Amino acid sequence: MNNSLKLGIVGAGRMGITHFSIANAHEHAEVTGVADPSRLITTMLGKYTKVSTYKDYKGLLKGEQLDGVLVCTPPALNPEILDAALEAKLHAFVEKPFMLSAGDGERFARAFDAAGLVNQVGYVNRWNDMFTKAKSFIEHGLIGRPLRFRSEMFSPTIIRDPGDAGWRSTHANGGGAVYEMASHALDLINYMLGAPDRVGGTSLTKVWSKQVEDVVSSSLFYESGLAGTIYVNWSDASFRKPTNKFEVFGSEGKIQVDQHGIKIFLTRAHEAHGLKEGWNQLYITDVFSSVPFYVRGIEYTAQMFDFIDAVRAAKAGEPAPVRCTFADASANLRVIEQLFADGAANAQGDAA
Amino acid sequence: MSANGPIDRIVFGDNQFFGINHMSQDKAQERAERFAKLDNVMAVYDHAIEAGIEGIMLNSNDRAKGICDRFRADPDKYGHLRWYPSIPYPHKYASMVNDRGMVGAVQEILFAQGAKSALGKMLKGGMAVATLDAVKLMKMLVDQEMEIYHDLDVRVVFLQNVIVDLMLGYDVAEPFKAYCEHIRKKYGAYPGLITQNLPFLRAKLIEWGIEDVVICASINKIGYLMSPGVEEYEQVLAENDGTKYPVMAMSTLASGAVPPAEAYEYINRHNIQSVVFGASSPGNIRQSVSLIEPEGASA
Repeated sequence: MNNSLKLGIVGAGRMGITHFSIANAHEHAEVTGVADPSRLITTMLGKYTKVSTYKDYKGLLKGEQLDGVLVCTPPALNPEILDAALEAKLHAFVEKPFMLSAGDGERFARAFDAAGLVNQVGYVNRWNDMFTKAKSFIEHGLIGRPLRFRSEMFSPTIIRDPGDAGWRSTHANGGGAVYEMASHALDLINYMLGAPDRVGGTSLTKVWSKQVEDVVSSSLFYESGLAGTIYVNWSDASFRKPTNKFEVFGSEGKIQVDQHGIKIFLTRAHEAHGLKEGWNQLYITDVFSSVPFYVRGIEYTAQMFDFIDAVRAAKAGEPAPVRCTFADASANLRVIEQLFADGAANAQGDAA
Repeated sequence: MSANGPIDRIVFGDNQFFGINHMSQDKAQERAERFAKLDNVMAVYDHAIEAGIEGIMLNSNDRAKGICDRFRADPDKYGHLRWYPSIPYPHKYASMVNDRGMVGAVQEILFAQGAKSALGKMLKGGMAVATLDAVKLMKMLVDQEMEIYHDLDVRVVFLQNVIVDLMLGYDVAEPFKAYCEHIRKKYGAYPGLITQNLPFLRAKLIEWGIEDVVICASINKIGYLMSPGVEEYEQVLAENDGTKYPVMAMSTLASGAVPPAEAYEYINRHNIQSVVFGASSPGNIRQSVSLIEPEGASA
């Protein structure tokens, strides 16, 4: 274990404790320290795991000799934490949406790249086997030239009055359906087709929340003529768990994909891909990959092990490509800023 | 082995009732509507019992209490059944975390039982949440989840894989030891652990000296939800002592990817002690029962 990567975790919420378990199960990595402001959480972790615990990132960085840090805090806190990680020359994995402003994101993307530090953001759908398969079909030109798309996400996250407690209740902390959920729907677009150039017709609507939106819809446009829509609703009780749906219409076919399956309609057969003319259906059981250790879903392990492997490669002087960099996440933040601006302009129009 | 005797070769699961279908959301919705009526649920159980099934696995959820009440209400018809509950109810805690955050959720759980409960008394006695004994807390949560199974013949109490696999990554024995001991002492039942990492979990249990635990894991010929892979599973099954670590196979059809005859042929030729399956039509239930051989291959 002497050659193991030493990792620290900032923020032991739901994602922090998941990444802790997964990273710790990697044969060449171990989590040695966790920082969280909750005494309840650090007391339990200190007592029932082998990690040292700290009340904040400053203590963690001072107390531990680390190779990398997993930042799982509300995004408003991340610039300060990443400044410190950069100074300590730590590779960094950061939970989505990464930052609140694209400008901050781009600054860190440049700085980490310049310092030769691995930087990755936790847009986990990029590691889902169905979405990666759909992306490869599109890239191989199976549906021809992409012309229209829609990216949707639904969940029963906020289905009653959430009150004002917690970081979710304001944009200043990174709460709201745009930062927390539409970011996923936008990232899928970015991953599959690249980031759009502008947005229009944005509606941000409250169902239960008082200060932030619960429902998001908008149209997205590219200079190339490609266009599409997003529709995100985290107050939809008809869904049992968070679900992404993505559809692209192209000049030679159409693809519909979610986390569990792909339906693809083709105007001509593509035998090399095992696909016939007309409708084809692929299930997750047809294309799944195996991971060495499973917690909550294959994609969570695949994502974290990629980060760990990228850090090991960087340390060996052989940098490897990263599937979701700070720059990728910053591109999403640019679109998010446009959504907020367009949504606010449209709301003013309503009031007038 | 356990005071209660061996575990059932065939156990009837409940995913079919709760709109959980990995293949199609439309199908899942159709099922959820049909089984919103408890009478329709009980009719399926009656078919399963007619087909010879005597073991029932039930996941803790909103519906489980109503189902248990029905079974308790007719001891002549159902009194011989053996129960395999799986706890906790993950969605309940997940939505609490959504609403309140992690710390808020823990506090809500602690205070939910009211001031008269053992936990309420403890808290009233001035014990700060931050110094709370997590093992004691775990036992209380288990007992709370197990209340709905009172007066039923509980053979195994399973811990859900979300919890088991998360803790497995932390690589510490104590929570596992404490859970297993509590289930044996308090319920006279086997402790059971559900996992998607069977080889890793079994190796750790051996390392930690924890025996007589039922391991429930996805086992199918295509390796779906089997980490790290199907070869490692086959190797571990071949060498496993089924009296120390009885293995219960779930997801044997891999969400419908493997036809039943092929799926159970695979199960029958491996050293697997028990199989849990879910189905809703009488024909599918009878077919599964007929395809699963009474005794598995031995090590």
